[in-house]
Amino acid sequence: MSYSSNNMSKAEGRSPSDFDTLTGISLKPAYYQTILNTLPAVGFFEIHAENYLSKGGPARHYLHRIREQYSITVHGVGLSIGGEVSLNQDHLARVSQLLDEIQPTFFSEHLAWSSHDNAFLNDLLPVAYDEDTLQRVCEHIDQLQTALKRQVLIENPSTYFEFERSDRSEIDFITAMAERTGCGLLLDVNNVEVSCFNQQANPYEYLDAFPVKAVQQIHLAGHTLDQNPITPLKIDSHDEPVSGLVWNLYQHTLTRTGDCLTLIERDGNLPPLDELLAEAHVANSIRDHVRQERINELIV
Amino acid sequence: MNSSFKAALLNETDDFSHEVKANATEEKAVRLNVYRNNIFMSLMDALADIFPVTQRLVGEDFFRAMAREFIRHHPPKTPVISEYGDELPDFLHHFEPVQSLPYLADVAALEHNLLMLTNDQEHSTLEHAEIAAAFDNASDPSQLRLSLPPNSQIMTSPFAIGSIYQAHHQTPMTNVIVKNSEHLLLSKSDLYGTFHIISKDESVFFSALLQHKPLENAVPNSETFDLGATLAKLIEWKLLTHITEISVLKR
Repeated sequence: MSYSSNNMSKAEGRSPSDFDTLTGISLKPAYYQTILNTLPAVGFFEIHAENYLSKGGPARHYLHRIREQYSITVHGVGLSIGGEVSLNQDHLARVSQLLDEIQPTFFSEHLAWSSHDNAFLNDLLPVAYDEDTLQRVCEHIDQLQTALKRQVLIENPSTYFEFERSDRSEIDFITAMAERTGCGLLLDVNNVEVSCFNQQANPYEYLDAFPVKAVQQIHLAGHTLDQNPITPLKIDSHDEPVSGLVWNLYQHTLTRTGDCLTLIERDGNLPPLDELLAEAHVANSIRDHVRQERINELIV
Repeated sequence: MNSSFKAALLNETDDFSHEVKANATEEKAVRLNVYRNNIFMSLMDALADIFPVTQRLVGEDFFRAMAREFIRHHPPKTPVISEYGDELPDFLHHFEPVQSLPYLADVAALEHNLLMLTNDQEHSTLEHAEIAAAFDNASDPSQLRLSLPPNSQIMTSPFAIGSIYQAHHQTPMTNVIVKNSEHLLLSKSDLYGTFHIISKDESVFFSALLQHKPLENAVPNSETFDLGATLAKLIEWKLLTHITEISVLKR
């Protein structure tokens, strides 16, 4: 990358504007102590809601300490808004209480389902793109936004197959979902690469058609390749650095969205925090460049 | 549709494949299998995190095979995975391949209880000086009610589960006589669930304190019980939250 560099070692004096200009990182227990000891220059930390719903213990303790220093965004992975069954009201109440306590800048969830018949399957399972599903998803998003008293962001999924019964594209489905509910969108650029690879589609065409007006946050993550002999698939594993392909897609995305709040998302095979800070720094450089170009356009 | 999707993922049935767009049956299976794999691998990892000693006792390969069976029959009921596995001890109790390890279910129960304590709320406890003052100011110390943190609990097992647990956290592992029964006091220490191996008399005494009995009624009827030494342990373990004297009138 040939973009100008920021001072990465800024340890103190975070200002509210850092949230808007500096990229965020997934908060993981392995990083709690390093974060508190070094106060790295990070725009925000993102947590998975479901890991922070306990009444006590280290997760809750460290979250509150880190919240004193940083903005937080909350990412739900268990509300199952794409599910055929009603939202789990007990779980929703616990998430709502967490948001009241933490006052995150954004709350996001997935266009996916995970709960059915009293079982939680711990994965983000795909939904068919048809009218019945759209109506159900929109009702769930309405309920979510009412219960949480805020706009929520919904993330485009990483998928490993398409449904025979789908009668419209993912883009059409997401566009209608955002229009009907007024929800914001979280554009996961890695999911775009993964899904398009798995469906033999062009990720640039996907990004060019994406309803970017509603996008308020971007996720960047790593994926792995399953080289099975029948049909190679990209797996949204979050256990590798962001790939070169995804960095290129990210730059392309920002030409459409302009500068946008960005997260380096990492859930497994955790490296030292410095490696994630370096990835966040790359994103910062790209974002700085986009902001500068916008300014230049205004001047000209 | 999600009923058949879920069944296909958990039970590996084929009733769902007509929903999957693909050129061939094998391709449908490969695509569906990514989700199945995500579910089982993530939940096996979660169970290994929650039950590390149980895993060490049976070995990783066996544990994962056993976990797969457990997940198929007892998938999580809520999205909070750190609360998963409460049914594992009972599952192990009836799981034929581990009947030669009769203590395994109790060790798993201990691990799950400790994690639940870790996730439960903390309670502030009394300092030495406050405890000394409460005893000094009591008109009748036998009428003092000593309160432990309310999430403290007693576990009793016919096996030496506390010693087994401790041995598997030490290197090299020490030998444990597994057929010795043990009483444990589980509680929170700072942010984490922890336990102490206690005597049968202490178990009776702590149970009575947890039932809010005053000292006079809590002390077990046993010649070997040493009240002073037991109180010293409670103070050292920082497990007293309140000391109140039951008023004479209320008696």
